[in-house]
Amino acid sequence: MLSYNFKYELKLLLRSRWIQLLSIILLLLFGFSTYNGLQKVEKRKNDILAAKTEIQENDVLMLKLLDSVERGMQVNVPSWTIPSSPMAVGNYHPRVAAMEPQPMAFLATGQADLFTHYVKPTVGGDDAALNFTEMTSPVQLLFGSFDLAFVIIYLLPLLIIAFSYNVLSAEKESGSLRLLAAQPIRIQNWVLQKLALRFFWLSLLVIFSLLTVFFLLGLSPFGNSNTFISLLGLILAYMLFWFALAFLVNLWVGSSAKNAVSLLGLWVVFVLLVPSVLNQLGNTIYPMPSRNLMINELRNMKAEVTEKQDEILDNFLRDHPEYALNDSTQTRGFYHRLMASKKLVKENMEPILQSFEKQLQNQQNWVEKFKWVSPAILAQESLNQMAGTSKADYENYRKQVIVFAEEWREHLLPFLYNNQDFSSNDYANLPSFRYTELTSGSQKGIPMLFLISFLLTAVGLISSRTRNSKEVLNQG
Amino acid sequence: MINTNNLTKKYGEQTALDHLNLDVKEGEIYCLLGANGAGKTTTINLLLGFVEPTSGSAFINQLNVSEDKRATKRFLAYIPENLMLYPSLTALENLDYFAGVAGKRLSQDNLKGFLAEAGLQTEAFNKRIATFSKGMRQKVGIAIALAKDAKVLLLDEPTSGLDPKASNEFGLLLQKLRGKGVATLMATHDIFRAKEVATHIGIMKDGQLKQQFVANDISLSKLEKAYLNTMEYNEVGS
Repeated sequence: MLSYNFKYELKLLLRSRWIQLLSIILLLLFGFSTYNGLQKVEKRKNDILAAKTEIQENDVLMLKLLDSVERGMQVNVPSWTIPSSPMAVGNYHPRVAAMEPQPMAFLATGQADLFTHYVKPTVGGDDAALNFTEMTSPVQLLFGSFDLAFVIIYLLPLLIIAFSYNVLSAEKESGSLRLLAAQPIRIQNWVLQKLALRFFWLSLLVIFSLLTVFFLLGLSPFGNSNTFISLLGLILAYMLFWFALAFLVNLWVGSSAKNAVSLLGLWVVFVLLVPSVLNQLGNTIYPMPSRNLMINELRNMKAEVTEKQDEILDNFLRDHPEYALNDSTQTRGFYHRLMASKKLVKENMEPILQSFEKQLQNQQNWVEKFKWVSPAILAQESLNQMAGTSKADYENYRKQVIVFAEEWREHLLPFLYNNQDFSSNDYANLPSFRYTELTSGSQKGIPMLFLISFLLTAVGLISSRTRNSKEVLNQG
Repeated sequence: MINTNNLTKKYGEQTALDHLNLDVKEGEIYCLLGANGAGKTTTINLLLGFVEPTSGSAFINQLNVSEDKRATKRFLAYIPENLMLYPSLTALENLDYFAGVAGKRLSQDNLKGFLAEAGLQTEAFNKRIATFSKGMRQKVGIAIALAKDAKVLLLDEPTSGLDPKASNEFGLLLQKLRGKGVATLMATHDIFRAKEVATHIGIMKDGQLKQQFVANDISLSKLEKAYLNTMEYNEVGS
């Protein structure tokens, strides 16, 4: 039966123009979404480049100013911006800490439109942690960008539904099912074969369309062959899930209209409802402390330490005897007090930040625990991972920036407390930031999706053993 | 070849078929006559295994239909009132597909031979079914039965809606199959066609087989009278 189904299913699909229609739709969707994704990546690259260029131009000016100062010339700039002051360098000539897009970043916008991908940490700025984390909505599972991930997760299932909802019911409604059922076959197996063949042909079309779009847009899938193979694996696993669902609905439901409504209902549940319900439950079970309260706390703390800056500085210097001044002509000024107080603010804020971090982590763990309930979450997470735009990627970036901000501050503080000028010779030793990508973890979502799909198919087959062909024939 | 033993089907309180006993042997054509709702189609559905009997049993080639549906279907071919094939496939492709699904791998020459034997014109072989009349589709149905080498043919109102010429051609095809030893059970309203093609005729009413005749032993007018009497008797009786 399989060889005949294989032979004639393609003929039927070609003659009903399904193959041609799907090819055009897939090429358009993949083409447009990949182009959109590339545009976003291009903008991100340009933003980073512009920030770096600005820093380079500032550095040229800084070195010229330093040169003039070191040669004893008068410079026509405000005194607090003269780069011989380490705090002027630390505040007005920061480095760019950029998260460069990964080669497949165009696949999924992921968290990229929620978090920044470059910052310029300064010695006087607040702790970088405050500027990175989306405190109120940590689990962004609803995604609005028309990127490849959107097409795969949202639109591809709709195409599959349109392509598979009436495999059995159309035969029933046209009358050909009775003739088929009079042959020595199991109708359930026949439905499974038809759907498996449609899955096969659609998979080929998807692969062909993706390759065509990649080549047309100048992308080399073989440059990142592992990621590309993972991408194809993920798409096939996700498609298989929807075909498995279509198999169950074809067997269990009945008329074409009921099948279509059931499958669309399942699409709403798996793609829209489950992700947002999980998100909401995460927020309800692990509510985030009020961000306003945290900001108020920070302000109060700043006001408090401002009043006690002399005392704080004394305490700081007591803890850091290496900064003791031997030269009685030198004094401690504004920046000495400010930096000592900032350190204290940071230390005092740590428990509050930790409580946010903990709740955030709890929420993420919650979603992590139940993500398998929706294949859309699994697929989105995997695509974000491939694109380097997952929450783990941005968390990795945030941590690296916090470390770098500390390094930047710690590099310049000894200049400040030793009352030592910054010179052009010190320029080369300024720390710079280099983003280290997450080592790509295994794509757990793909085997999990395959497993769920096979389980669904098995449920269909096992349940069909207890149902006779007559029940399939007579339902409606 | 086709046997039923007190075959009964009830839908709730409604009895669709009531203790039917039939025996159709090789080379016989048994026509079931009756009005709508008499139980003719239920009988065919039970023989096809499309519905389960409430009691009694049905046998095809001595195999119990309820116990081994797939095995029994290897021996039978079925032509419903409106034979629906795949409209976008040609006659040859439809025949190849249905014979293939039934486990018969046949060469193109063989397939063409069966279509020709079923009376389809050669120029129609490669035309899509969408352009076919009902009579032409029935011929493809017969070709499927020939290709399957069916021992049993179940026909549900096959001549309804056919013009007299097509109906006559269909009758001739049935005679040809009879010559090959095929046992045929045909449900029909058409007394004239039944008398012409059948070897045996049964009249059904309210799920019961009221009368049976050997076709050669009864004239058309007597058959018609018996049919009408059965209908009237039951109407009066009901």
